[in-house]
Amino acid sequence: MTEPLLQATAVAKAFGPVVALREVDLSVAPGEVHALLGANGAGKSTLVKILTGVLHHDSGTVAVNGAQVELRSPTEARARGLAPVYQDPAMIGDLTVEQNLRLTGADPAKVRHELAEMDLDGLDLDEQVRDIPLPFLRMLDLARALAFDPQLLVLDEITAALPPDLSDRVFAIMARWKERNRSVLFISHRLAEVRQHCDMCTVLRDGRDVASFHPGSEGGESQIVAAMLAEAGAGVRDVARERAARAEGERAQRLVVRDLLIDRQDAGVSFEVAAGEVLGLAALEGQGQDRLFEILSGNVRAAGGEILVDGQALRARHPYDAIRRGVVLVPSNRLLALLPQRPIRENIAIPLFNRLGRWGPINAGRERRQVQDAVTRLSIDTRAAAQARRLSGGNQQKLTIGRWLAAGFRTLLLFDPTRGIDVGTKHQIYDLIRELADGGAAIVMFTSELREIALVCDRAAVLHNGAIVAEMPPTASESDLLTAAHGLEVTAV
Amino acid sequence: MSSAPPAATATPLPQPSSRATRFRRRQGWVVGVALLFGALVFWRYSQIPAFGPFEIRGIVAGTLTLALLAMAQSVIVISGGIDLSVGAMMVLANCIAARLMLDQDLGPVILIALLVIAVAMVLSGLIGAAAVVSGVPDIVVTLAASFVLSGLALIVLDSPGGGTHPRFQELLVGGFDEPLPATLLLVAVLGLVWLPFKRSRLGIATYAVGSDRAAAFLSGVRVGRTRVIAYVMAGFFSGLAGVVTTAFTGSGEPRASIGATATLTSVAAVVLGGVALLGGSGTLLGPVLAAFCLALIPALMLGLGWDPNYAEVARGIIIIVVVMIGGLVQIPRRSR
Repeated sequence: MTEPLLQATAVAKAFGPVVALREVDLSVAPGEVHALLGANGAGKSTLVKILTGVLHHDSGTVAVNGAQVELRSPTEARARGLAPVYQDPAMIGDLTVEQNLRLTGADPAKVRHELAEMDLDGLDLDEQVRDIPLPFLRMLDLARALAFDPQLLVLDEITAALPPDLSDRVFAIMARWKERNRSVLFISHRLAEVRQHCDMCTVLRDGRDVASFHPGSEGGESQIVAAMLAEAGAGVRDVARERAARAEGERAQRLVVRDLLIDRQDAGVSFEVAAGEVLGLAALEGQGQDRLFEILSGNVRAAGGEILVDGQALRARHPYDAIRRGVVLVPSNRLLALLPQRPIRENIAIPLFNRLGRWGPINAGRERRQVQDAVTRLSIDTRAAAQARRLSGGNQQKLTIGRWLAAGFRTLLLFDPTRGIDVGTKHQIYDLIRELADGGAAIVMFTSELREIALVCDRAAVLHNGAIVAEMPPTASESDLLTAAHGLEVTAV
Repeated sequence: MSSAPPAATATPLPQPSSRATRFRRRQGWVVGVALLFGALVFWRYSQIPAFGPFEIRGIVAGTLTLALLAMAQSVIVISGGIDLSVGAMMVLANCIAARLMLDQDLGPVILIALLVIAVAMVLSGLIGAAAVVSGVPDIVVTLAASFVLSGLALIVLDSPGGGTHPRFQELLVGGFDEPLPATLLLVAVLGLVWLPFKRSRLGIATYAVGSDRAAAFLSGVRVGRTRVIAYVMAGFFSGLAGVVTTAFTGSGEPRASIGATATLTSVAAVVLGGVALLGGSGTLLGPVLAAFCLALIPALMLGLGWDPNYAEVARGIIIIVVVMIGGLVQIPRRSR
């Protein structure tokens, strides 16, 4: 057997108490297009950053062509023949493309040649990077990486924001690289691409490599999905029975979204949520879910379409407008929503201030009572009450929900509410969501953990490329959801 | 229920922006400040019956110090920081130079000038290194450093005094009706120091670090080293400003308030000159022209017979209005 071009052995990396990689082995042979797969948070990006010198691993070894290497910087990694194209193009917006090339020491002539090969020689290198649309920036970043003539090209979700014709050009480059007996490490959520263009794949889950096989073989796709998901674990509560027990009576549509354009090019998102209903939204990374939630919460304006709240159009210019109509957001980045240096009490009371009176001092008694209610109801651990940032992730998340609980709401937007939270607290949050819905709230929940749909939701919708491509019952299997999320036809429903 | 894979249609290449758009975006602010400067000069010219070499020399030599400090501040701001010690550094350089140059011949005086600039570069580099290594924000480190430098200036020269060689004064800032030396000095600093730096990889790295530190790191820029070098560059400009002050006034003046005022005016010139306080954009020409505008305003008010105190009010309002107009001009770009 030939010596692998890249051999990572028992690589581990932790960020403080959070373990990103427990123990990962990865072996890429020369002339191989190797896919790196895994659910969100499985450790793909961390591994890529270690292999390209951005991060340094805590333990384990990385060897290139059999020789162990220490990659301390991106420049060093490039010198070893590992050239990355990151998810976010590593280009500086205030500089021109040409200046960016000089910064990395890439030869502009070679980059121009690579661009010509991609049929993109119309791009002007004297343009400022911030004036170039993202897909073309990715192609420029790719051309820059190619100009280093790397042994291993690392492509981190390069196709995620590319239109099909540009993706095809990327695949052509991958094929060319393979012909030259060089290798590509390809990261993508699109299983079809992986099956079609990759020779090998390694699946990461919870910071470990759980499987390595040929993705193109028979049943490769289901093998990938199985490896990515693994255990399903029965829910603590019998959700199905509870769901059946709920009356299927006629309910008023609380939130109606019609042809909402997340981006100008998209087909538009349409869905409805009734009072007392939890709609689960499933999507791969970067399908427009972030922006959809920003639009619904009044943070960003839509490019088109309409949002109806209780039958009346909501045209929010500011989150304040949405909040007044009872539409509130719990974002994924908890510290963004909270005032990290302030106590629990103030964090809960902030949206409350609008109701406690517009002018003059705040009625401290009323404030305290409402805050106390929320804290008890959510069983927030108040030992670290003085500063929200010292709370655990789970308690912070409860706090972000709790602030709306005290202020009152009718429609709740939850963006990945259990990301990075331990199992016990997760179930407390599931219970809370159900309780809120039973109390009459309409809830839209995006989740990156598909099993949560079966655990908490009444209905599932799948978002792909800025459009709802499928609606399913909550009992739909995870593989069906995942298939739909990849934009593929679900055969067996 | 699923979408068929979209057909592979060709995505059109982005239209390159036109030359005019590019020029407006990249040089628009400098042109605007230059027009403002031109208008102010013309106004001043129409105020004084005999506008000649004497007046020009007065404007150029009198503003040279502030222009150099604006350059020092710009380099730091472009690299993503802010330096509240440039004024104190100038005062310290002025005091060292005035004390050492007293009663010396021209040769040693010139050597002392170079030495003082070198000392300022080293000190400023140390301040930058302290900010980079400690991770304490620039604004805190440089504010603290400004106290240290002001104290050092008083240790070097405990009261106004010292001196320099008259030939050295003429060489640097010219005689009373010679505008050429000061103008040449300014042009030389911009053309021979700044432009080559800006075009070098180091200069690009400075912009990159100010624009996006993470992306700069991914591009292989050594972020800490680049920031320290920006401070060394700033030290060069503020050291030179101190030497020029010595030549202009012929003495040393250790008062800390001079440094503090100069620092704040340098920030004003940077803002007015179109260098984004967020870092990563702008040039040095803009702040230099802005420094001249700021210096011309009090003179104009004096010419109008206004109370000099109103001149300060006018300066403040002009800064706000100009920056606001500049912001409005740039909004269409941001929403792209």
